[in-house]
Parts: sequence; C-alpha cells; structure tokens
Amino acid sequence: MLTIKNLHASVDGMEILKGLDLEVNAGEIHAIMGPNGAGKSTLGNVLAGREGYEVTAGEIIFRGKNLLDLEPEQRACEGVFLAFQYPVEIPGVNNTYFLRTALNAQRKYRGEPELDSAGFLRMVREKLEILHIGDGLLHRAVNEGFSGGEKKRNEIFQMAVLEPALAILDETDSGLDIDALKTVADGVNRLRDETRAMLVITHYQRLLDYIIPDKVHVLAQGRLVVTGGADLALKLEEQGYAWLEDGGIEALETDGANEGPNS
Amino acid sequence: MSELHTDLQSGNWSGKDLNLPGWAKNLRKNAAEQFRMHGFPKRTDETWKYTVSSLQDLQDIRLDRGTDTGYPGQSLAHDLPGSGYRVNLLNGRMVGVKGTLPSGVKLLDMKDALESETDGLQSVLETLSGLQGSRTSSHGFSALNTATLGAGLYIHVPPGVDAGRMHLNWAVSQEETTRLINSRICLLIEAGASLEIVERFGNLQNSTHTTNVVVQAELQNGATLNHVRLQAEPDSACLITRTEISQLSNSDYSYFGFDLGGRVIRHDLHSSLLGPGAKANLNGAYLLDGNRHVDNHARVDHIAPDGQSDQYFRGVASGSSKAVFNTAVCVHPGADGSQASQSNANILLSKRAEIDTKPELEIYADEVIASHGATVGQLDEQAVFYLRSRGLNEQQAREILTTAFCKSVSDRLGDPELATVISQRMMDVMPQAD
Repeated sequence: MLTIKNLHASVDGMEILKGLDLEVNAGEIHAIMGPNGAGKSTLGNVLAGREGYEVTAGEIIFRGKNLLDLEPEQRACEGVFLAFQYPVEIPGVNNTYFLRTALNAQRKYRGEPELDSAGFLRMVREKLEILHIGDGLLHRAVNEGFSGGEKKRNEIFQMAVLEPALAILDETDSGLDIDALKTVADGVNRLRDETRAMLVITHYQRLLDYIIPDKVHVLAQGRLVVTGGADLALKLEEQGYAWLEDGGIEALETDGANEGPNS
Repeated sequence: MSELHTDLQSGNWSGKDLNLPGWAKNLRKNAAEQFRMHGFPKRTDETWKYTVSSLQDLQDIRLDRGTDTGYPGQSLAHDLPGSGYRVNLLNGRMVGVKGTLPSGVKLLDMKDALESETDGLQSVLETLSGLQGSRTSSHGFSALNTATLGAGLYIHVPPGVDAGRMHLNWAVSQEETTRLINSRICLLIEAGASLEIVERFGNLQNSTHTTNVVVQAELQNGATLNHVRLQAEPDSACLITRTEISQLSNSDYSYFGFDLGGRVIRHDLHSSLLGPGAKANLNGAYLLDGNRHVDNHARVDHIAPDGQSDQYFRGVASGSSKAVFNTAVCVHPGADGSQASQSNANILLSKRAEIDTKPELEIYADEVIASHGATVGQLDEQAVFYLRSRGLNEQQAREILTTAFCKSVSDRLGDPELATVISQRMMDVMPQAD
C-alpha cells in the first residue's frame, strides 16, 4: 500500500530524514518509535503534505500513486489521514459542519454521492457510540477550548468518520490518561482490517499494549535503524534509546529488514 | 462656491418650506452657518483624512430636491425576515409603513413631528447640536444634516413599553444627478422601555447617491435599544452616518453593524454613558473587496460610574480595498468602577488591500477594568492545512475560516434567526483571496 524509498526531507534547510525506507502492506499496523528529534513527526507531516517540509530525494508511492505529486487535500481524498500531534483550534467552525464538509469533499472526489445532514448525523452518532465519546463535541467549534484528551479523541473520531486507507497517528498517545488512551486504541482497532494500514508514531511503548503492531521500527538520525516485532517495543521500554548511540544495534536481534547506521 | 452651497442658500432642496417652530428654525440656521463657514470635512481633519481621500470630489454634489419617483419596493427584495413593524424610507423620507405599533408608541414622519412640535423632540435634537461642540469642518456632514432638517423619523416609546422590532428599510430612487440625501432618525426611549431597530441599506445597482443619516437616541433610566444595521449598498453609492446615543442610568444599548457593500462608507458611532450602570455593547463586521472603502469610528464616553462598554469588531479586506477602524474609550473623572473592553481583529486577503486600526483608551478615573487589542493579519496557515488535510480544497478552507471569523460577530446577536440570515448574507459576499 505504501512504499517509501530513500526519503530525504529538510525543514528550514536542515536535513531531518536521511534516506528512509519503509514498506507497509494493507492490513498491517506499523509502529514508528525513536528518540526525540529523530524525525518521527517529520515523517508524518511529509506524508500529509504539510508546507515547510521539503523532500530533497526519494519517493513515496501510495496505492500506485506518487504521493508527493498530490496536494494535501488530494492525499486526504486518496485515503491518507494524519491524526495531528497538536490538533489546531478553529474558532467559529462547528465540528459537525466541518466533518460533513470534509467527508462530502472526499466522497465527491471518489465519485460517491454526498451525504445529507440527516444521513450524516445518523452515521456520526453510531461512530460516537462505538467509541464511547459523548455527542457534546458535535456542537462545539473544532477543538476550541478542548482539553488535550478531548482534542485527541476528536482526531480519532474524525478518523472513524473518514475511514482512511492509511491512518498516521502522530504521537496521539502523548499526554493522555488511560481512558483517553483506550479510546484512541479502540478507534484504531475498530478500523483495523485487511484493506487498511496504520502508522503509529509514538515515543512510548504504552499505547502498543492496546494496539498490537505487526512491526516496530526504530527511527534514529533520520533513518529506520532497526525493525522488529511487537516485542521490540518492550525491549525499547526497558532499555531506552541510549544504546542506539553505543553501537548496540548489532547486539539486538532483529528481523533484518533494515540496516543499522554503522553497518 | 459649490453647487451645494448655492442649493442651500437658494432653498433649492426638499423640505425647505416647512412650517417650523422657532427653535427648529434656529437649529437649522446655526447649522447652515457652521456649514457655510467650514464646509465638508477636509484631508487636514485627522479623523477624516482617509474618508475624504476616497470620497473624491464633493463639488458637484447637489442636495436632493425631493422629486420622488416611488419606492422601488419589491425590486429591492432585501428585506430581512422576521416579525416587526416595517417602515420604508425613500430618499430619507417615510413613504410607507406596515404592521401595528404597540399602544402608546409613536412613529412620526420628521416633517410632521417638527411642525406639530411633538413632545420630547426638541430636547433630543438639541442634544446633538450641543455635542457638535467644536465648530470645525470635521462635523460638516452633521451640520449639513441639521441645516436641512425635515426628513426622517421620530420614534417615541413611553415608559415601560416594549415596542418590539421595527425595520427601517432605506431606499433611494434612481436619478441622473449625484445627490446628497439627508435624513434624521430621532429616538426617545423612556424609562424601562425597549425597542429594536433593524436598519437595512441596499439599493439598486449603479445609483450614485450619497446618503447622510444622523441617528440620535436618548435612552432614559433602564431603557433598552437594540440596533442592528445591515448595509449592502451598491459599489457606486456612499453612505455617511453618525449615530449618537445618550444613555441614562442602567440603560442598555447594543449595536450590530454589518458592512457588506458601498463605495465609501463612513460611520461615526458614539455612546455617552451619562447615568450610573449604563451599558454599551458595540459590534460590527466589515467585508471589503474591489476598491471599496469602509471607515468606522466607534467611541464610548464613560461619564458616570459603573458603566460597561464592550466593543467587538472584525474586518476582512481583499482586492485594493481599504478599511479604517478607530475604537476609542474615554473614562472621565468620576466614572469610577467602569469596565471597558475593545477588540478589533482584521484579516488582509490581498497585498494591495489596506486596514488601518487604531484603538484609543483614556482613563481619568479609579478602579477601572479596561482591555484593548487590535490586530491585522492573515488567516492562520496551521488551520488552513488542518482543513486541507481532511479533504477540503484550499479555497474551501480559506472561505470557511474567513466566514467563521466574521460569523463571530453575527453569533453575538440575541436572535438566532436573524444571526443565520446575516451570516448567510456575509457568506454570499465573502471577499476572496487574490
């Protein structure tokens, strides 16, 4: 579904991603872990098409299309969804109105009929019930005055409504209490099926207790340096990331999908 | 001497020959003298410099001679929905009414009110000539308005009566000459009474008139006036308005102005909190495109203690348009315990558009709570990206954000039905980025 080859990306002239390779198949959940400043969020933003992230080399193929040729909204319509690390507050724009406009923009792009107000509301209420989110957020402005947890729940709610083919969760777990964490995990697990893929970017292993990934990658110094199974996350939790700098990569048992920086 | 001075002197204007009481004749005479001496505002009048530059030449303008061709009526189709008494004004004069007024509420054509010397009118009218104060050209338009006094309305709400909503639909007949139309609205709202006026300015395209309206209101103890104004003049017309509100104790004045059209729009909005505990709540949105000019000056004078004023204005400018917004609060000596807030934010959608905002705050009293802020900026690019990342195209994203910005003003209206209609009108004319 997603193939990233030799991706180099810079922010303000500083190279953050330095030759990243990644292959994600439909039905898979991949976790991207790594120390602060390794480039995890840059990867998410490059995939979503945020301005200011300049791709200097490499390619990203998503369902046969060159993602880098597409505008952010075209990527969204093709099925890419980024759950923001810092969701933006938009005063004056009603959450329900926003989400219906977004969903209908995507449906129109795909040649599907647009949903009317009643049909949309019915669908939205079902999603809220499944995710155990109150309907209070329907009447509020997008993220305005939301607590950190509410903002992240709103991201997951949007994801549930838009049903993307590829969902990228950018540190969605950071700063969440256990209940909010379960909502996030619930949202991801309910969307999980053979046709979709997820990229879970996280600093901590905690979220991966609830979302069991198929693969775990360690992103350090702009590249994926180690790839393993779900148990790799546990090892990282135990040992931290310091060993990456001590030449410890060779010592780690990996499935050999990626090379280490020292090899 | 300009044509207009000749008109004024020769009496070649509508309403010249009214049978006026002595005090009204004096008002006219003094104002005519002031206008003859100082004329229209000039570039050297600090608060008028931008307006005057945009107004272009006033030399050729003529006073309206009152050759009415009939109210355009349905062809305007701008009437706002909802209940209420409806008053149609053509070229500044009352030409039709619809609905039933609550018992005791008086609505008179200004001409009849003057000729019959209706109770209360004299004191309200003389308030303005007192406020005119400095005899300079900066009050040229209101001086001319008083000098030609005779068109407009007098509305009197007796104590304790809720007069409900009154629509004032302003229209101008189509004529070849560039005319200056003068009209005066006087409101006397007695103790504990309340009134809502909804003004709508919206004329046929290509009309090159300039309308000069002065609205004066006296709110007695505990009176309430809710004042809504939807201005959607064609790009060829100018509108100069001055609103003067005198507020006695615990009275409540709210203003909601929406400027959606017009070539040059100038509004001086002024409230004096004369009695303790009076409240003035001034709100406005101005949406500009093309070469339009909108110039708003809002001022509240806190004269008595414990008054509250809240000013909330939002502006959007695109193309080569220009918006000026002045917000001023003065807390006078003795007006202790006053609360004042001023908020003005603007979005520039084009490099050629210009917005000048100037908040002013003067405090000469104790225990005053005051805040003010004024910004001019662009749309939040983080928000634009957020919307795009969900599938909205860039234009949609920008439109939604601009609309939300302006809607924050209509959302402050107490009536959700009217708020919905006005926000839709704003959406219809929402300026586009270059």
